[in-house]
Amino acid sequence: MTIIQKIKNINEQKIRETWFYRRFASLKTSCILFLILVGFYIMGTIFPQGAQLDDYIRSGGKFTSLVIFFDLLNIFNTPVFLIIALLLFINLTICTFERFLTLRSQRKAIVEDGLLTPAYTFPLDINQQKESTEESVRGIFKKELRFKEKTSPTHGIYIMEKGWSYRWLTWIYHLAILFCFFGFLLTYLFAFEDELTLYPGEATAIKPATINRWNKSWGNSAQELDFRLELAEFITEYNQLPKLDYPADKLSRLAFALGWKDPKYTLKNESYFPKDWKSRLKVIKGGLAVLEKTIEVNDPLYYHGITFYQAAYNQNLKIQVDDNPILFETESGKELIIPGVEGMLKFGTVRTGTLFKKDGSTEKIKPFTEVVLIKKDDNRKIETENLGKLEQGGGIYIDNKRISMREFKEASILSYRNDPGVPILWWSGIVVLLAMSLRIFGAWYRIIYRIEEKDGMPHLLMKVKTRGLMADEERLIKRLQHSLMNMTEPIDLNTPV
Amino acid sequence: MVGLSNEVNSTMSNLETLLSRDAYLLAIEIRLFWFVAIVYGVCLVLYLIHLTTKKTGPGRLGTNTLWLGVITHAGLILLRTFEGQRAPFQTLYESLSWFAWSASVTYLFVERKWKDIYMPGILVTSLSMGACLYALLTRSPAVEPLSPPLQSYWFEWHVVLAFLSYAVFVVSCSIEIAYLAVKPSVKKGYKLEYGLNMHNLETFHRQSFRLALFGFPLLTFGIFSGAAWANEAWGRYWGWDPKETWSLITWTVFAIYLHSISIPKWKGLPASLFNILGFICMLMTFIGVNWLARLLGIPSLHLYAM
Repeated sequence: MTIIQKIKNINEQKIRETWFYRRFASLKTSCILFLILVGFYIMGTIFPQGAQLDDYIRSGGKFTSLVIFFDLLNIFNTPVFLIIALLLFINLTICTFERFLTLRSQRKAIVEDGLLTPAYTFPLDINQQKESTEESVRGIFKKELRFKEKTSPTHGIYIMEKGWSYRWLTWIYHLAILFCFFGFLLTYLFAFEDELTLYPGEATAIKPATINRWNKSWGNSAQELDFRLELAEFITEYNQLPKLDYPADKLSRLAFALGWKDPKYTLKNESYFPKDWKSRLKVIKGGLAVLEKTIEVNDPLYYHGITFYQAAYNQNLKIQVDDNPILFETESGKELIIPGVEGMLKFGTVRTGTLFKKDGSTEKIKPFTEVVLIKKDDNRKIETENLGKLEQGGGIYIDNKRISMREFKEASILSYRNDPGVPILWWSGIVVLLAMSLRIFGAWYRIIYRIEEKDGMPHLLMKVKTRGLMADEERLIKRLQHSLMNMTEPIDLNTPV
Repeated sequence: MVGLSNEVNSTMSNLETLLSRDAYLLAIEIRLFWFVAIVYGVCLVLYLIHLTTKKTGPGRLGTNTLWLGVITHAGLILLRTFEGQRAPFQTLYESLSWFAWSASVTYLFVERKWKDIYMPGILVTSLSMGACLYALLTRSPAVEPLSPPLQSYWFEWHVVLAFLSYAVFVVSCSIEIAYLAVKPSVKKGYKLEYGLNMHNLETFHRQSFRLALFGFPLLTFGIFSGAAWANEAWGRYWGWDPKETWSLITWTVFAIYLHSISIPKWKGLPASLFNILGFICMLMTFIGVNWLARLLGIPSLHLYAM
């Protein structure tokens, strides 16, 4: 060993003896850190994360001073939480390193373990020399029971194993969890996301309003992407969903169960249940459409590291009152005050596109919206009145005024995101799941045995260790007993079974 | 005009037939569900009689009756699948039904190796009955098509494996509670306490650990598949949504439990308490988070709609 290696070993030994290292190589520390993190997680579910303080106070939020002091509305970005997460990462790293060193020095421990009191003793009733008996038993374990020799025999002690090594599998998935942390870090530092509203026929430039933390810390600004996105078509589809006539109160439901009445489906006032909304997109680069895809929820568009998701859509409506050429503009779902009309009008989502009917047929929907009149009385109590359907081209009357929907325009709202942490998380997640499943579900056996003469007869003395839910020690012993009973001649290890 | 009128009439007649058929199937389903809930209730009563009288007869009858409940419930779930033409775990009504069935099935699978041990059945059947009654009395049984965010190949995988983990944790906790309840008497030397004695008590208890170990990778897959699905649907694999966070809490608590078995000072009662805590967290993840989010007015993408 060279002097440099000797120095390295001494330094490594000193580091491993420090209080910090020993604490963070401890399983108890992992559990304590997990418990602290659970406390943070619970806080994160009680206080709405990402909410603005004003909105929180306005909606009746309590413990405002605590919320401000501990930044409880953004708890997972607080320095304290990040430090705890970092400590967990350090703990996991040190434990993984320590485990690696331990795994490499397993052999001595196993052999020493073999000298202890055996759990099973089988008499071997065969008329053979001891060496032949050993070969026969070895043959049973290797050929019939499919064990593999872990090490060459030491002092007559044999060690054999079968199955994936549970220690290495445990180590692998803990190492993969470390890589997951790395993926989370990349997401934290480099991911950015934003929203984009596209109107049909318009190619829109994409310049994120937000930048990732890394660029923010360097004072960089967001750059416009080198391609544009055009919405060629926005499509909505609905399912015809009959209304169920079924009581809400418990007693009536119990009565239904006893046969008082049957549930009933009706098509009167049926709801249009969203089936799908899709955007046919074109990626325009250098004036040319380089890619075209129809996206929908769960089927985004990937281009140059950016993923575009179908998030939502909005609708702009133009409302005419009587024959007035000036039109009122509003959005579906928003309230509109019309002079001369008492209260506010609220226009529901305009249903358009294709209706998939109950009988399997389809129908083009004539665009319509549901109109609701909202009034506030003297006590500021809100009253709503459903005014019914307003079709495009039709009209409804309120307060002697004819309200009609002259036109509407749909826009597709896409969210887009760049996250370099995702590929790392995918792969490390798969490794975690595979290794964890093999470790927990798979069967692993280790047998340590020796053959001893007792009362003039050879005996097989054996210890068994198992891991994994599929491991069945009883079944192994039964198979071994069966094989030992049938053992009359030495098994040739060189001949395949 | 007459021809058009005939066509319209024919279409309406088709629709009415379809609606009548759906209503009829739903009526059968609801009544069958009530029957299943009552069967679970009967099992619970039998197990409670076993608890109070210490006789094995009621316990054995409870288990046999539970088989009836589970088989009927399986038929009910198949009927629901046929009605909806999709996997039956979209709404909370359907999820509660699925949860009740999977918990009972898991219990029966584990219980078959025991001899005269029925105590864990109390918690399992009470949860199953509670889930069924909650669904029947408060949730809408209407069959709905899948909404756009749920139209994904991840849907079945995520839900099935997550619920299987929930079912396993229910049985694990029920064994843990039974063990803690009976252990003092058995240690004092009572000969036979609910089928448990000095020889089989620790083996029985070990099943609780093995079940939690079985459920842990399933829960891990549930979280991973949920994150992958969220990434595909919403563009973000993790948003600290209350449901996501509670599933992480459940995972972390069970991770603590599994690690605590290897820590000598935490191996006994502390580990058992972590197992029970994990079960409570699982219930919060499944049901509690809906209530909590509504109570606190926190938006969640996972809230089950009425």
